[in-house]
Amino acid sequence: MIPELEIIKPFSLEEAVDFLNDHPAEARIIAGGTDIIPGLMQGSKRFTGIKYLVDLQQIDELKEIIADSENITIGALLTFSQMINNDSLKNNFPLLVKSASTVGSVQIRNRATVAGNFINNAPCADSVPPLLVYNAKIKLLGVNGNYEMPLSDFLIKPYFTRLKTGEIVTQIILPKPKKEFIGDFYKLGRRRGVAISRITLAALIQIEDNKLGEIRLASGAVSPIGMRFFDLEQKYSGSVISDKLLKNISSDLGKEILKVTGLRWSSEYKVPVTQQAMYLLLERICSAHKQVK
Amino acid sequence: MKIKVSFILNGLQVTVETEAHRRLLDLLRDDLNLTGTKEGCAIGECGACTVVMNKLAVNSCLVLAGQIDGAEIITIEGLMKNGALHSLQQKFIEKGAVQCGFCTPGMIMSAYALLLSNKNPDEEEIKEAIAGNLCRCTGYKQIIEAIADSEI
Amino acid sequence: MNDSFSIVGKKVFRQDAYAKVTGQAKFADDINFPGQLFAVMVRIASAHAKIKSIDYSEVINDSRLIKIIDHSNIPGNKLVGPIRNDQPIFCFDKVVTPGDVICMLIGENVDDLNKLKRKVKIDFEELPVLNDPLKSLEENSPLIHPEFENNLIIHYPLRKGNIEKGFADSDYIIEQTYRTAFVEHAYIEPEAVIAIPQETPNSVKIVGSIQNPFTCRKVVASVLNYPLANVRVIQAELGGSFGGKDDTMNILSARAAIGAMITGRPVKIKYTREESILESYKRHPYILNYKVGAKADGKITAMKIDIIADGGAYSSMSPFVTWRSVVQATGPYEIENVQTDVRAVYTNNPYTGAMRGFGSPQPIFAVESIMDELAIKLNITPDEIRRRNCFTSGSFTASGQKLEKHDVNLIKVLDTAVQKSGFKEKWIKYHSLQEFKSLEHKNLSFNDADSLILKEQDYLNNQNYLRKGIGLAVSYRGCSLGAEGIDAAAAYLSLQNDGSLFLLCGLSENGQGLRTTLSIVAAEVLGLTLDKIIYLDQDTSLIPDSGPTVASRATLMGGGAVKNAAVEIRNRLEKLLVDEWNLAGDAVFTFANDKVKYFGGGAKEISFNELCALAYKKGISLSAMGWYKGPDVHWNEETGQGSAYFTYVYGCQVAEVTLNMATGEVFIDNLIAVHNPGRVINLLGAEGQVYGGVTQGAGYALWEEINSEKGFIKELNFDQYLIPTAKDVGKIKPYFIEGRDIYGPWGAKSLGEPTLELTAAAIANAVRNAAGKRFFNLPLNLEEIFLGKKLKAESLNRGSA
Repeated sequence: MIPELEIIKPFSLEEAVDFLNDHPAEARIIAGGTDIIPGLMQGSKRFTGIKYLVDLQQIDELKEIIADSENITIGALLTFSQMINNDSLKNNFPLLVKSASTVGSVQIRNRATVAGNFINNAPCADSVPPLLVYNAKIKLLGVNGNYEMPLSDFLIKPYFTRLKTGEIVTQIILPKPKKEFIGDFYKLGRRRGVAISRITLAALIQIEDNKLGEIRLASGAVSPIGMRFFDLEQKYSGSVISDKLLKNISSDLGKEILKVTGLRWSSEYKVPVTQQAMYLLLERICSAHKQVK
Repeated sequence: MKIKVSFILNGLQVTVETEAHRRLLDLLRDDLNLTGTKEGCAIGECGACTVVMNKLAVNSCLVLAGQIDGAEIITIEGLMKNGALHSLQQKFIEKGAVQCGFCTPGMIMSAYALLLSNKNPDEEEIKEAIAGNLCRCTGYKQIIEAIADSEI
Repeated sequence: MNDSFSIVGKKVFRQDAYAKVTGQAKFADDINFPGQLFAVMVRIASAHAKIKSIDYSEVINDSRLIKIIDHSNIPGNKLVGPIRNDQPIFCFDKVVTPGDVICMLIGENVDDLNKLKRKVKIDFEELPVLNDPLKSLEENSPLIHPEFENNLIIHYPLRKGNIEKGFADSDYIIEQTYRTAFVEHAYIEPEAVIAIPQETPNSVKIVGSIQNPFTCRKVVASVLNYPLANVRVIQAELGGSFGGKDDTMNILSARAAIGAMITGRPVKIKYTREESILESYKRHPYILNYKVGAKADGKITAMKIDIIADGGAYSSMSPFVTWRSVVQATGPYEIENVQTDVRAVYTNNPYTGAMRGFGSPQPIFAVESIMDELAIKLNITPDEIRRRNCFTSGSFTASGQKLEKHDVNLIKVLDTAVQKSGFKEKWIKYHSLQEFKSLEHKNLSFNDADSLILKEQDYLNNQNYLRKGIGLAVSYRGCSLGAEGIDAAAAYLSLQNDGSLFLLCGLSENGQGLRTTLSIVAAEVLGLTLDKIIYLDQDTSLIPDSGPTVASRATLMGGGAVKNAAVEIRNRLEKLLVDEWNLAGDAVFTFANDKVKYFGGGAKEISFNELCALAYKKGISLSAMGWYKGPDVHWNEETGQGSAYFTYVYGCQVAEVTLNMATGEVFIDNLIAVHNPGRVINLLGAEGQVYGGVTQGAGYALWEEINSEKGFIKELNFDQYLIPTAKDVGKIKPYFIEGRDIYGPWGAKSLGEPTLELTAAAIANAVRNAAGKRFFNLPLNLEEIFLGKKLKAESLNRGSA
């Protein structure tokens, strides 16, 4: 049962921010609603006390995709379906688009937004690992105006972010990776259709003359939230590619994950499989690179 | 608090007075007596409540009345034209795509939305389009055949 | 009539599909009555508790509440059950599983009632919880139902030959233990029912998502203490059941009926998915110990079987479900020495009852797995070990029944499946890929973090992480109820004087296509086109009690009844024509395409509608009630010997899978299903049964599982309870081998359940073929394949499943 509430439809961001600040405890933004509505329906503790849902659909600037030479900036209301159908995103951010196409069902993707995905910050948010390896930044609007923040800083712990009361995430800024980056996204679910992820991995690497250049690795679902592995990336950047190296990276990833999660009920399965999946992913990326050459 | 919502439903302009937090699903079934749209899970997992909103398939259990002002919504009841079955409806009958029939309206609406954007979907595209519509009777095979054979 | 049919066996469109594709079909929740009230259930969060007191003081005077109903409002039986009356309509002394209902609140608005129900204060004392069925029979185990002396629901022994001698004579012995999981029916329509008080005093009408209207009527009448005739049950369009809308719906109907009679207004109960999964019964988890002895040539000499079925909190159908298990537990193999013990026991888990397959998928999984193990041990192929042991005409079953009076064509079924799938060559090829070490994930240990880090040699690469496997399984299945109970059904045909026809059978359309199947039977006999037939709504007041629509018996029994009624009418019409046309008494007519023809000396023809008009004018009855009764069967409870079922069907399925050795994922590439349903009535419907049954079976094999954590269910909705989507099963190809049978319409028998019961076993054998290793616990999910065991979440919260 959905509790009684009002839906507020501001026409501008300023109006929205004002309303949110006037009702700090009782107002919540609704984007696609695919997390919040079932949450309300089931009486989830995360959504109690809501009296107003602030629906931003009338604010067109939140739906725009703006490309310049450096970045593609997407409005926070962009749905996964819109993302999947955008050629510029497909060409520049294939991992992100691939992850978007694995989110829920068509019906969910037609409503759910990429911003909602990371603001909800569930461990299994599929788009987060690709956003992290693309070094996504987000633009926020609060009473003190706009500011930017790397997404990796924004995400704190499961279902918690640095979003302050009264603030709105307005845009996601995706810096275009240099051409020589090559990568892939991997998702494991219990079934093929409409699966909640058990493991997600994103790897974006530069390969120069059989050496790893910059490497970026991220995981989701197997870690408490989507996260990058900066130490690991640094350690292996510049290494000569070999089968053994790829295995070492994967095993180190397993160690890093164990450090973050500790031993959990699912570790026995997830930790080895994550290493194995990362190895297969890296092997595929490297062999794809060879074929391109 | 009641609000007034105007939208196009199956080609007709309608205005209803309702509460903002009411689900589109309840609005259709209880207020507008369009019971072809079914409730199976209430959390957007089964697809039985699928309708087409602004040319896209959506779960009507995940849309609130306060969100539909100005939208164009098509339900299973809106597919027939001049008393004739839509091609999808006809093919569902001919291919044996219907057993208990509870998932059928949502399944057909997902297929309809697919055909709106893709006139000749291949098998994989059809499967993807209906992956959010659970069916426990048919094993989907005859449904996929029916959609592959349909025209918009 | 001969076997050249005008409509039987063709691809026939369903008559009810038009209403379903247009959204006009009325399912229970689509129906509302003026003045209708709603009822919501009140439960406590406990799997086993003594109810000390119930305090309604905070709700009793609330204007949103019209009435509270609990056990004290029940005029008749407070406890119900198909065999043993152990399940309360409303709990009064204790709660034995979390789905239990203590009382219900009636009012005009469900949301209001849901707020109010939190204000009902129930004081209870927790009792020790019993979750492990293996502990149910231990002396110090908590008694779930203290009115019985122990937690045993039923024990079926079966003794044939001399088991010790059988093992002594064997060259090889294999003994293994298999386990299966709780499984949810997952019909897409959740339960809904409305009870409407009738004008006649003490009478009520029930409209709902009810699988078995006559069983429902019996339960409601006993709870209200009314004569059967005062309870009228009408089946709404049923949104899937698979055996699942029986006990639960009967109890819900009884609750709604009490509410309606007390308030004098229609009362609707409509479940959410969570309530549906919480309260409804499941498929039984089985623990199956099999010991098989065989000679070096593969001939089985002895089979010893010990099965424990978790009946959960109530006995429900456990005595019938496990009876089918004891009959069929050896599989379709002729074995001289058999000792089987099947026990169903109480626990505080969700209760278990009827589900498509009904006690067969579990033993088939076990016996077909162990048959493959035996084949591998003897170095012969799985099809060969089956050929050397399986039933042929005149074989004797484990219960000592001689298989006769029908085509025992299992070998033909098996050979067809083997040939169509290229089984033998593929199986040998995959089996021989021994360079790949079998899936052994070493000594992974929950407590040892280091063991979870892969070493260089542990990694699989992109060339070797996928493997192929092929597996088969065979079964035989007793048709209809067997020695479970009286087996008879009725059908009513009423021809109108223009040749159109009303048809109604005492068995139910549960979505499987029965209306169309039975209409085809009537159409075939009378030569009608299907558009002339109107199938009436299932209504207990209009047709005799025909028992439940279960056990894949509706085509066989209902079809038999329709055919009898149609033949009776046809005989009258033929007699009329003999008189009218001055023919010999043995004149042969053809009834087809709405015409009746006589080809003897001087061909004659009359349209069917003219014939009906003529009959009407002559005062000949155009209606008939057909009755079809199965032959007697018998069973000896002490020895497990007897003629369990009057006829059987045979099936073989072959699964081809791709196994991802890196993750434990299994994908079903191809599944070939060869079945002998006796006779196919509607080819389109029969194929649909195969596709649907196989897909459900695939879910049973790979994903589906209700985890009962101290009795509480984690998988309360479709985000956690994973049934196959359109993307999850590859190609399915049905083949039908028809066989002659003296029973059913033109020998048509059973198909719905056979399609499901084999699939998990075939998949498990394919996985074995791919992995080089046996997995013992269904479902074969990621962890089972990767670790050889199940991992359980620490909490019931939603999250990454």
